[in-house]
Amino acid sequence: MSQWTNSVTIQRWTPSSRYAIVFAGLVLVLLALAPLFASNGLLDRLTALFIYVILAAMWNALAGYGGLISVGQQAFFGLGAYFTIRIADLGLDPFISVALAALIVGVISYPISLVMLRLKGGEFAIGMWVVASILHLMVNLDGLIQGETGISLVSLNHYDSAQRLTIIYLLTLGSMAGLLALLFFVLRSKTGSAIQAIRDNEEAATSVGVKPEKTKQLLFVIAAFGIGVAGALWLTSATTFLPKTYFSVQWSAYMIFMVLVGGIGKFEGAILGAIIFFLVETWFSSTGVWYLVSLGAIAIAFSLFLPKGIWGELERRFNWHFLPVGYQVVEKNKINTDKK
Amino acid sequence: MKKITKTGISRRQFTLSAIAGSAIMAINPTFAAATSDKKLRVGFISPRTGHLGAFGETDPFVLSQVRQALADGLQINNETYQIEILDRDSQSDPSRAGQLAKDLINNENIDFMLSTVAPETINPVSDACEAAGIPCLSAVLPWEAWYFGRGAKPGQPSPFKWTYHFSFGVDEFYQTYISQWGLIETNKKVGVMYPNDADGNAIRRFLKPKLEAAGYTIIDPGAYETGTSDFSSQIALFKREGIEIFNAFPIPSDFSALWRQAAQQGLTRQIKIAQIAKTGLFPSDIEALGGLGNKLASACYWHKDMPYRSPLTGQTGKQLCDLYEAQTNKQWTQQIGACLSLFDAAMETLITSADPKNKVNLAMAMRKLNVSTIAGQVDFTSGPVPNVAITPIIGTQWVKSKSGPFKFDYLITEHATDPNVPIAHKLTPYNA
Repeated sequence: MSQWTNSVTIQRWTPSSRYAIVFAGLVLVLLALAPLFASNGLLDRLTALFIYVILAAMWNALAGYGGLISVGQQAFFGLGAYFTIRIADLGLDPFISVALAALIVGVISYPISLVMLRLKGGEFAIGMWVVASILHLMVNLDGLIQGETGISLVSLNHYDSAQRLTIIYLLTLGSMAGLLALLFFVLRSKTGSAIQAIRDNEEAATSVGVKPEKTKQLLFVIAAFGIGVAGALWLTSATTFLPKTYFSVQWSAYMIFMVLVGGIGKFEGAILGAIIFFLVETWFSSTGVWYLVSLGAIAIAFSLFLPKGIWGELERRFNWHFLPVGYQVVEKNKINTDKK
Repeated sequence: MKKITKTGISRRQFTLSAIAGSAIMAINPTFAAATSDKKLRVGFISPRTGHLGAFGETDPFVLSQVRQALADGLQINNETYQIEILDRDSQSDPSRAGQLAKDLINNENIDFMLSTVAPETINPVSDACEAAGIPCLSAVLPWEAWYFGRGAKPGQPSPFKWTYHFSFGVDEFYQTYISQWGLIETNKKVGVMYPNDADGNAIRRFLKPKLEAAGYTIIDPGAYETGTSDFSSQIALFKREGIEIFNAFPIPSDFSALWRQAAQQGLTRQIKIAQIAKTGLFPSDIEALGGLGNKLASACYWHKDMPYRSPLTGQTGKQLCDLYEAQTNKQWTQQIGACLSLFDAAMETLITSADPKNKVNLAMAMRKLNVSTIAGQVDFTSGPVPNVAITPIIGTQWVKSKSGPFKFDYLITEHATDPNVPIAHKLTPYNA
């Protein structure tokens, strides 16, 4: 490290991140064309992957950027699915119901945020789990859901199977891209800096004029909305709504796994974590209990030995910033050209 | 009868074949195999691990019997078809059951799907088949939870084209309980413990009013949550009301807690009939209760003494279960015959369809299916709704075995829903 001089500059984009954005755009175009050549099986699995990416990105935004660790995000996953069923039962098209359901989840999350954001740290985490359980029990009271018997999104049967698969795939791809773009721009904006300042030190952030409540609420509502979208899309793909499956704490466990392994607080980390989780699930889920035991063990190992996750480690070693949401302070004569 | 129309080739499928037709044949060997005429691929999804694992424990044995019987193929319309069964473990997890179903449909190109045990497995599998237009036959789940639990509405036409289900329903429980409870003189006061889950809610909603109409006084302390550890208020209520019949639909761990407390607090002394469903389907549940398991009344969806023969393997229930006990040194369970009856009905569907490669024909064959299986008649032509056939529930009692080799014998006490089944034992009072 050469001597610190005052000839520093602030850098956001690097050449590699510009390439990365172009590359991400190309991947999206390729994925959007996939229904033309991919098999039904592949489309269906990719739909699941996109939903995992949404879940990981949302949990990462909440925990990695906002410092709000929640084990109750399944509340919004379940509500997204529940409202889709409810609205579709009124006779609306199931895919329109998905969009409306996600909006309702976003709206409902606001009053929840007013109460829950008063809690700190572990209290918030467990409090959210309580919220998820309460919402689960309330959904069970709805006669349409028939308690734990559940119900299926039967109106999807109006679509023929190939058409149905393609619509769900493209809808999920579009939702993932849209939600990631939303997060990217929010986190790069002034609000994003405020969010991270609060995470690092709330009092210090307040002293420089950041309003913690409003900022945290925004993040909370975005995360709830995104996870609501994920739950509604998962329902269209699975058809069957059994309340205890959707309100299961395993969804939060999966989100935590993806973010811890991929790299908490790294935008790219959540995406990488979702891909890793998806591959692990595809290859090893048939081993049953040992699969779940291994997931837990891996998450513990990462938090102990690689707390920044795989992406954090790659970023440290190679100084990669593909999707930069932060600022880098660099010496003027050492502007990052990725040639290290 | 509603017409089943075959979906035409969509534009996407057309583009697919135009661009990549032969390439896909080359890179995907299962595609080529599935299109050969003499082979049928049948998917089978059941819970072998997880909280429903006790049901699927006997599946490997049944599958070995089925595969042995099908070793030389199946004769359909004077042609021999090789039947390949692709069996999968749902791990009692609905998400996994749905994913396995989609994998079998999309990547293994199955012609026919079979599924068994509980909404956690059957409902997601049926929904995946309905979505993809794959014929699916299932069994062992109260039909109301399968039919209404998947979005069908009473009084409206069935929304399902591809999925069929044969099982008992709430009405079979009603007939069996009325028949069973008439065997012993009681004050007709029934204490019930129905949990807040799929079965509990259905039973409270549909069975309770019918029992009341039949002259029983139902003492219902309300739904309890699974995992409750203290039942003393309910037990006190039952003692105060002087119930002589007790009826519950608990999971084994809840029943174990409840029944031990009932014994400690003196409730069991006044109970003449302890009619337990869900727990007590398997010998292991009863053995886990020790002495308290003796003389519990139960009801089964299959029994080895049913006077039927499997058209597929040619075995009677007794032959099948004797073989299982000899091979595994474990006591027979009712899932053995129920599982085989699913394969019996499925193979008969393939045979009567005449052209089993045609999925529309297969679905029509299920709709018209009327066949004798190892569990008795499966008749879709007389069901309550077009996609459902009704099967019986037989009243039974667990009794300490006098001659062994296992601790308890599972004996038939009544046969209201299938009079062909021989009664082997007179129901004895629990507190006698």
